[in-house]
Amino acid sequence: MENLTIRRESDVLMLKYAGEITLEITGDFKRRLDTELGEGDVRAVVVDLSGVPFMDSSGIGLLVSINTRMRSSGKAFYLYQLSQPVERTLGLVQLLDFFQVLKDEAALSGICG
Amino acid sequence: MECAVIRKVFRTISHPGDSRRLAKETVDVLAGHLADADALHDLDIILTEACANVCRHAYGGRPGPLEVRLAVCPGAWVELEIVDWGKGLGTDVRFENPGPDSEGGRGLYIMRMLSSACRVFRRGEENVVFIHKDIGAARWKT
Repeated sequence: MENLTIRRESDVLMLKYAGEITLEITGDFKRRLDTELGEGDVRAVVVDLSGVPFMDSSGIGLLVSINTRMRSSGKAFYLYQLSQPVERTLGLVQLLDFFQVLKDEAALSGICG
Repeated sequence: MECAVIRKVFRTISHPGDSRRLAKETVDVLAGHLADADALHDLDIILTEACANVCRHAYGGRPGPLEVRLAVCPGAWVELEIVDWGKGLGTDVRFENPGPDSEGGRGLYIMRMLSSACRVFRRGEENVVFIHKDIGAARWKT
């Protein structure tokens, strides 16, 4: 997944995907996340969605599954910088308030600190 | 409203990548008629959801034929039929939004929310998702 950038800020895992999130890529995305979560302690996962021009219900399911996985193990999951199409799609299925969304760098610094 | 309806048919095999390309190809044709980016995005999501459903369910997860039939009445409406020849959705067709923890089951809800009318039915050997979307005259290219 060359469009997926992953970095760690201490025990926070940051993932940024640039491109469409659809059925075509959700399986690979999950497998990459599985690998990363198996390599060292992770307190929180942040997914940056600023570079996502299109997301369908497969992408929504991906975000819900990561959220469930992290919370069931007492860890945190955040969305960061929603693109306008992603915000619209999550709003359509009434999930904007379900996820914890970091709106800007200050909010991101707050959880990485 | 009377209009000269423009019709076009798109076909592919229901691999995830090919299905997404079919949706994009259809939206590219619609972009020649529609000026409104939000309406195009709505139709893109509707098509992608319907085609993804065919990939996941129609042929038991295996690839099979997938067809999109487009009808456009410029200045008024768009109609889509997304057709497969697989096992169909049966009688268990749900258009409700599932609970927030659900990882799936939102496709039909999204299609219904973004369209003026959405029906799922069987016609002979064909399984059809029918979409009608009214689009105001100001949102079209003149």
